[in-house]
Order: sequence, then structure tokens, then C-alpha cells
Amino acid sequence: MRKLLVISCLLLIVGGVSLSFRAERKKNSYAVLPKDSVGSVKAFMSVYKVLMSARCMNCHPAGNAPLQGDDSHIHTMNVKRGEDGHGLYAARCSNCHQAENTAGLHMPPGNPKWGLPPENMKMVFQGRTPRQLALQLLDPKQNGGRSKQQLIDHMAKDDLVGWAWHPGDGRTLPPMSRAAFAAQVRLWIAKGAYAPSAKAK
Amino acid sequence: MITLTVNGQKHDIDADPNMPLLWAIRDIIGLTGTKFGCGAAQCGACTVHLNGEAVRSCVTKLSRAAGQKIVTIEGLSLNNDHPLQKAWNEMNVPQCGYCQSGQLMSAAVLLRENPNPTDQDIDDAMSGNICRCGTYQRIRAAIHKAAAMQMEGAKI
Amino acid sequence: MMETNTISRRNFLRASGLAGAALCLGFYLPANAKKEELAAATAESGFDFNAWIRIDTDGKVTLTDHRAEMGQGSYQSVPQIIAEELEVNLSDIHVVFAQGNPVKYGSQITGGSSTIRGSYKKLLKLSATAREMLITAAANKWNVPAAECYAEGGHVIHKPSGKKLNYGELVAAASKITPPAQVKLKETSQYKLIRKPLQRMDTPMKTNGEAVFGLDKRLPGMLFASVERNPRLRGKIKSFDATAALKVPGVKKVFKIQMMVFKTTRDGVVVVADSTWAAMQGRKALKVEWDDTGFDHVNTADIYQAHENLLKTNEGLPAKKQGEPDAILAKADKKIDVIYQTPYQAHAAMEPLNCIAHYQQDKIEIWGPIQAPDWVQGDISDKFKMPKEKVIVNMTFLGGGFGRKAFLDYTHEAVAISKELGGPVQVIWTREDDVKQGPYRAGISYRGQGAIENGEITALKFKMAGQNIDHWNGPGRDKANGSTTEGFLKPYYDSIKNISFADVPYEMPLPNMWWRSVYASTNGFAYESFMNEMAVLAGQDQLDFRRKYLKDERSQRLIDRMEEVSGWKTRKQNEGYGVAITECFETTVGQIVKVSRQPNGKVKIDKVWAVMDCGWYVNPDIIRAQVEGSVVMALGAATIHEITFKNGLVEQNNFYDYLMPRMSDVPPVEVHIMENTANAGGVGEPGLPPFAPALTDAIFDLTGKRIRKLPFNLNEV
Repeated sequence: MRKLLVISCLLLIVGGVSLSFRAERKKNSYAVLPKDSVGSVKAFMSVYKVLMSARCMNCHPAGNAPLQGDDSHIHTMNVKRGEDGHGLYAARCSNCHQAENTAGLHMPPGNPKWGLPPENMKMVFQGRTPRQLALQLLDPKQNGGRSKQQLIDHMAKDDLVGWAWHPGDGRTLPPMSRAAFAAQVRLWIAKGAYAPSAKAK
Repeated sequence: MITLTVNGQKHDIDADPNMPLLWAIRDIIGLTGTKFGCGAAQCGACTVHLNGEAVRSCVTKLSRAAGQKIVTIEGLSLNNDHPLQKAWNEMNVPQCGYCQSGQLMSAAVLLRENPNPTDQDIDDAMSGNICRCGTYQRIRAAIHKAAAMQMEGAKI
Repeated sequence: MMETNTISRRNFLRASGLAGAALCLGFYLPANAKKEELAAATAESGFDFNAWIRIDTDGKVTLTDHRAEMGQGSYQSVPQIIAEELEVNLSDIHVVFAQGNPVKYGSQITGGSSTIRGSYKKLLKLSATAREMLITAAANKWNVPAAECYAEGGHVIHKPSGKKLNYGELVAAASKITPPAQVKLKETSQYKLIRKPLQRMDTPMKTNGEAVFGLDKRLPGMLFASVERNPRLRGKIKSFDATAALKVPGVKKVFKIQMMVFKTTRDGVVVVADSTWAAMQGRKALKVEWDDTGFDHVNTADIYQAHENLLKTNEGLPAKKQGEPDAILAKADKKIDVIYQTPYQAHAAMEPLNCIAHYQQDKIEIWGPIQAPDWVQGDISDKFKMPKEKVIVNMTFLGGGFGRKAFLDYTHEAVAISKELGGPVQVIWTREDDVKQGPYRAGISYRGQGAIENGEITALKFKMAGQNIDHWNGPGRDKANGSTTEGFLKPYYDSIKNISFADVPYEMPLPNMWWRSVYASTNGFAYESFMNEMAVLAGQDQLDFRRKYLKDERSQRLIDRMEEVSGWKTRKQNEGYGVAITECFETTVGQIVKVSRQPNGKVKIDKVWAVMDCGWYVNPDIIRAQVEGSVVMALGAATIHEITFKNGLVEQNNFYDYLMPRMSDVPPVEVHIMENTANAGGVGEPGLPPFAPALTDAIFDLTGKRIRKLPFNLNEV
């Protein structure tokens, strides 16, 4: 009986995930420009700077613990990713992080979806070279099964990604506005989604 | 009016929805087992269960807690007999005792979700709770003991 | 062991044994007398003394804990002593906290690890006296010789016949008996409760939220207050605007308040409201302009630079000297001359400071987490011109103290607020207030100089530079800090012929207060680190080196035990073992720390072994807990946190920048207690000082790097 329940739950989750992907796939309409490896890479390097800023990278750590602060130190309470990316046991993200930022310096920032990428899809930014990160972002096996259009939508519209530009009291912002960031993502993909060379830093 | 259900009891309170749950529990409802330690979700002394999760009540607004199921240390068990409470007593865990309500509420979530936690699991679950007296070693031992008691109890 | 009682018939009242009476036993200090006398009376006699033991006619036994319970276990260990000789079951007794009253209880200041060592002898005697009176009452009733009777589990039993009477049934008769002039105390081997690892009686109420800490106490009609104090530790207010604060729902009143910090004042604006939250919100809405005129805008770097200059140029005030260390050092070939630095630290007890005060025309009543109720009584009596007996100071459980809650600022401020408000009020400090307002453990710097010849110490010279707590309270600036040698083992003096200690006082506007183990917490790091450096200079094993100079039997046995439990002798070279031994409040603790390099390159503390010799003791499990906790506190102070100053402001705020050791940071601690019946030493603090020097010694053993400045980052070693 219990097994049946688990299986049906799994089916539900899988069904839900694929449904949502399908729903997103319908609106496939990013601009396509003539292929331009130089322009594409240049756009990605701007994107890379944003992704490697503390506001983005802190929740895309190389290890299993999120990072904190502009110096990207390991989260003070040694909290862990957990299977779903939302923490473990008594240290679930939402135990401290509310649906919105808590007012005040050093108070927990918040978002309804606050968390890390899940265990099976870590989407690590920390330590990645520009080339590694570009290839990773383009690979549906490593980017959460996203098409290029979905990647653009995630960067441009996702509410949790958007938190980076409303990070609460005392936190520095990414190096460019969200609109400018989204434009660079579009440009990168529109010009052919090229990955920088291995030497790019 | 905001309705809070604390330890199974309904309370209609007249308070600012931005007030942290901690102060409603302590100053309005009058349950003082939940402690104020930092006011910034740093120490875990204010940990209560909100729909079973170990939330920090000092940063959880009443607007989030309204209508939800809240359990405080006073409601962890009827007779101070949760396996963790028994183990805490057997191992003489508390010193000053101030942080222990929060430690117990955190440990209770760990034990519910992982009936046989390793030392690493305990680190992962309990590092959000500070104890200035330094009872960590005993908390760790008591969680292991409670896990054993719980499994023993389940067999009977 | 026979103990003689000082009994004066004059003070022993033969009160009538009315129904519902209770037998009370305690001590009494007659007016103009130096020695306190034993007193026994019925409860309704009106005789005022420290009823440490009260037995009601229904057999209920109530014992008084005259000291604060802040985690160290007085709530358990004081009754555990009394119950032993009184012959009652711990499960049958009730414990109450005494109110502040030095006339009745003597010193109540819970500091200096003094609760047990300061009172165990008289408590044993008192309890045995009560027992003998109850036995005599029963024997009289049965008309049998008292020698045929014994007491057990709250009963007197007649051995030959098996007849049995509950203490409650004997109260009326016992209260009419003159206490015996002499009582026989048990031998250590006869103890049923003392020296046993009994469960603490305060644990159940600390696992279900029942224990009432200061912050949990409630009075009818009580309001809540939060104070915005000048962020410069002794600054004043120029002006403030309460308009916005008064608009916050729940805020009742806003006014200026001043509290005493030793002999200086600190200004603040208090917001009083109907909930803590409203008071805090009102406080955030305040606009205050501060006046910092005349305040020294100190910086941490300047403090330590000044220390160093003083240590290099100033011989300081002599604290202890034997032989001629200077002359030997001047001629020595093999010598070292190093400086150690230790940081300022906040107490940061988990329960932030708080106090309830109710000022009335004819009395002042106070409730709170208070380490020194007798001091508070005297202080409030002085400052508010109220007779001492009209100042009632009630202790609650303390959510940690570590010395901070023996300070008198927060209680004074609460009474001043209640007076102005005209009603009962609870003043709550935020964590930021607690971290930023001091007083702190003083950061101290040390200079150690030593010479070795033929593998032997020929001279040792120590100087300390830093603030002296005593200087806050008055005279004595021409004398060395009385705590200059604290932490250093006394047996060293017998074998090291040329040795000197001096204090170079460094006056500063920052208030200081005791911090767990006080100066031993910093002295221990310098002196024992230096001993380890001397051992290296002499080319000898650190423990063997100490063994040569600590020739007394207790030290030798302690070292044996340290070697035995840690496997010291079988360790490999540079495997990461370190050691230190310090003395603090009549108790010696030796610790061995083992560290290793992890695959990720970071140094990890694998294990700590601690051996404590505290002489006669009550509860071994409480002792182990105190040492375990002391190590964690020492770990934080050595490797995780410090208080720093920038332009006169404290740079730390809360646990995000005054970090604490957490579950994942702490090493396993194994505690061993030496068995002997020497006079009892302290337990709550002596486990702290040896940790830092043992840890840095272990790091030296592993890496060759000698750390002389605390705190250091363990991840960067």
C-alpha cells in the first residue's frame, strides 16, 4: 500500500514537472540574429559577471552549503542543501527565510522559493570558468531541463532570480540592472549561444 | 483579529500582523517557554513548529502564522515525555537551560524525519541553535539516545 | 569527623510547636558578632534568619539555594549537600531561591566559582544538626536511646523495633530541642548522594518550558521597556524626538534615563509599551542626538600598540618576585622574549540582560537573572535612599551569566525606569545591546621572558598590560592588579627560584567586568604558552618539563592521569598534541588537545582530554558538564570571536558578527576528576583557561607555528 502511494506520488511529481515544461515550451519566441561568436561571447561575459556576483553565486555554491555575504563565506549555521535544495530537517531555508526580506541589516533575506538548486541538479556557479558555466547553462542535463527560451525566461522573469536586484538592507547589487542582464542573456543566445574559450576569465 | 492555533488551542489576538510570532506567543498568549535570544534568526532559541517545521519565531510574522498549526515547547508532549525530553533528562543536557526549548524543537524535527540520525545529520540539523553553556556534546548524545528509545518503543 | 556547633541559647528560640508549624534551621549573625550562629525555630516564631532547611508538619522539606543558578548547578548541588546529612530523598524536596540578603546568607555573589567551596562545610554541619534533632525528638517520643535510632529517607527509624516516624510528625517536638553541641559528619565513603552523578532537579523544567528565567517573569500590570543607549559606552544625550515613537501602537511613554556604569553614567532614551515588540518598534522610531564630548574615541589597534609600548618600556607595579630574574636574564645565552595578546570579549549569555523593577513609595522589588542579589540590594538601597530591608531582590533562573549579571547597571536602570514610570516594568536588552554595551573582559597583553641553562629554567619574568577591573571601583592604582598571577600554578614557586610578575596598568574609558575565569582566562594563555615555549627551548617534552617543576603530590598525580587518559607517552612526534595546566579558584585543570590536518587542508580539533583536581566535590556529572562547557567557551574566545573598537564604537552587533561555536564546530571533550578529599575548589570556571594554550601548543606540534595572538582563525592555520 505504502509503495503504491509513493509511486503514485512520484508519478504526480514527474507529471507536474513535464507538464510545466510543456507549458513553457509553447511560447518559444526569442529573437534570432546572425551568428556572431565574438558578440555572443562578449554578451556572455557580461552575464557571467552577474552570475558570479555574491547575490547569484551564494546560492549556486560548489559545495552543499550555501554562501553568505558579499565575501561569500559559508553560511554561518552550516545549513545544507538537502535533496530538494530547501535545506534539511530543522534547518530548512524557510525556517528563517520568509516570503519577503526581513527588514534590517543582517536580517534574513527572503523569497517564496528561497533555496538552492536541488541535489540532483546542482547548477554550480562557484569556481566555474566562463566557458564551463556557458556550456553548463546550455546543457539541459545540467540546467534543469531548460530550452534556450526557458533559460532566457528564467533569467529575465523568474522571481527568485529577480531577488538579486531587491536583496534587502545592506547587500550589494549585481553589477548591472536586471533589464540589462536579461538583454545580455538574449543577445548571447540570439547570436548563437557561443561559449567563451577555455582561456577566458 | 488574528487567529493563532498554539498547541491545539485557538487564540484570537489583536495585534499588528507584522509582529513576530515570538512576541505574540510570549507577551500576548503568555507562553514563555519559547525564548528570545537574538531577534535575527541567528541562535534558534525561539524555535517553534509551524505546520511541523522548525521556524524561528523571532522573524516569522503573525501574518504567516495566522491560521496555521503552531506547536511550542509547552506542546511538544503532554507529560515532558517526548523521547528527546526523556533523553535530555537522563543525560543531564541543560546547564542554564535557556536555549534548550529551541534545541528540543529543532531536534524533534530531525528525529521525526530521520529516526536514526548520524553525527553528520545532527550537525546538519542542529547548527542553527547556539548554546553558550556549550552543551553540544550532550545534545548530540541525547539525540542518539532518544533515537534509540524511539526505535525501541516502535518495536514494542 | 566531629564538628562543633556555635550555638547561643540566646538565639535559639524555643517556639511552641503549633499545628501547621514548620521546623526551620539555618544560621544567624547576631548584631555586632563576627561569627554566625546556628539557629532553629518554628516558622511562626517570627525569628528572622536564613532558613536553609524548612520541614513542614506534613513532611514537606524545602531547601534554600542562596546562590544564583546560571547553569553551573547550584540548584542541584546545594540541596544535594543538605539532603546527604539531613537524610532526605532528593525527590521529596523543594528548592527555592533565596532573596538577596547578605545578613542572612553571607555573600551571595555567584562568582569566583565559590558556591560550593564557600559554604559546603557549614551546610553539612547544619544538615547533620537538623537530623540529630529529629532523631532525638523521635527517641524521646518512643522513650528509647537515641543511639538506637537512625534517619533515612525523611524518616527516623528505631532499629530494634522497626518503628518509623516521618520528619513531619517530629517537627513540633524537634523544634523544642536544643541543637546538639557536636555532630558527627559522614566519611566520604559513606555518602549516598554526594559524589554521585545524580540527575539535576532543574532539568525537567528546562525541557518543557516551565523554568522561569528573568525574561519570563510576569507581574500584574507590568509594562515592557527597551532603551536606546548612547552607542559610545559613556556618552550622553544632546536631544531626542519621541514624536514618531509615541505614534507606534502600544507605546505608552518615552523618557530620558540614566544608569550608573561603575562611577560614571550612561544616558539612554527609554520606550515603555504594552509588549516587548511595541517597545522595540517605538525605539526604532526614536530620533536621538548624542553628545560624545570628552569621550575617548578608542580603536583596537591603538590599545594593543599601547600595551606593547608599555610592556617594552615600563617595569610596571611588582606583583610577585623571588630571586633575581632580571640579573640572570641579562647574562643568559639561551633565552626567549615574546609577547602574547588576548582580545576583549563579551559575555553574550543566551538570555539577554533584563530586569523587572517595581518602585513603590515604601519598597522596591526586583526580579531578574541576577548573579549578586546581595550587591543589588545594597546598591539600590544606596542609590534610591531606601532601607535595605525594603529592597527585595528576587532571583530567577539565569539564562547564563558568566560574570555579566553580577554587574549593577541593568538593575539600577530598571529601578530608575520604574520610579519615573510609577509602575512595574520589565526592561529588555536586545542582543545588540548585550553585545555592544559592555562591560567586557579586558583584552590583555603579556610579555614573557625566560632563560634556560642545562635544560633547566633559570629565570622567568612576566609582565601584563591591560585594564584592571578593580580600578573602576576606586583606589588601588598604585598597587599591581591582584590577579596578575591568577592561573599560574603555585607549586612552580617552590622550584623556580628566580621569577617575577608585574602589572603595567593601562587606563581606558571602557568598562570591564569579570568574564568566566576572569584574569586566568587570559593569564593562562600567556603563562602556559610560555611554559611550552620554554620546554621547546630546553628540548624537553612539555609534560616531563612541567613534572620537574610541579613537585607536589597532587600535581604529580594529575600529570600521571593526563598521560594515562590521553595516551601521551605513546603519541608520535608532531602528531598534533598540546598541553597546558592552570589553576583557578583553588582547582587545577590539565588539558591535552589533539589536532590533525584534514584532507581539505584545514586543521581540526580531534579531541580534548581534561583532568580536574577540585578536591572534595558534590556531583561529578555537573563537574563534567562544566568542563565540557568551559572548553566550548574557550574555543569561541580563542578561535571565533572578539570585541573590537573603532572610533569608540563597538564593531560587533549580534551572533552574525560575534560568532559562536556551533554543533558542527565542537570537539569531543573527555573529562576526568581526581579523587581526593582536599578542600573543595571551584568548578564552574577552572576548565576554561588551559584550553587555548593547549590548543596552540597542539598546533605548534603539528605545524611548527607558534600562535601568540588570540583569536586566530582555525581555518587559516
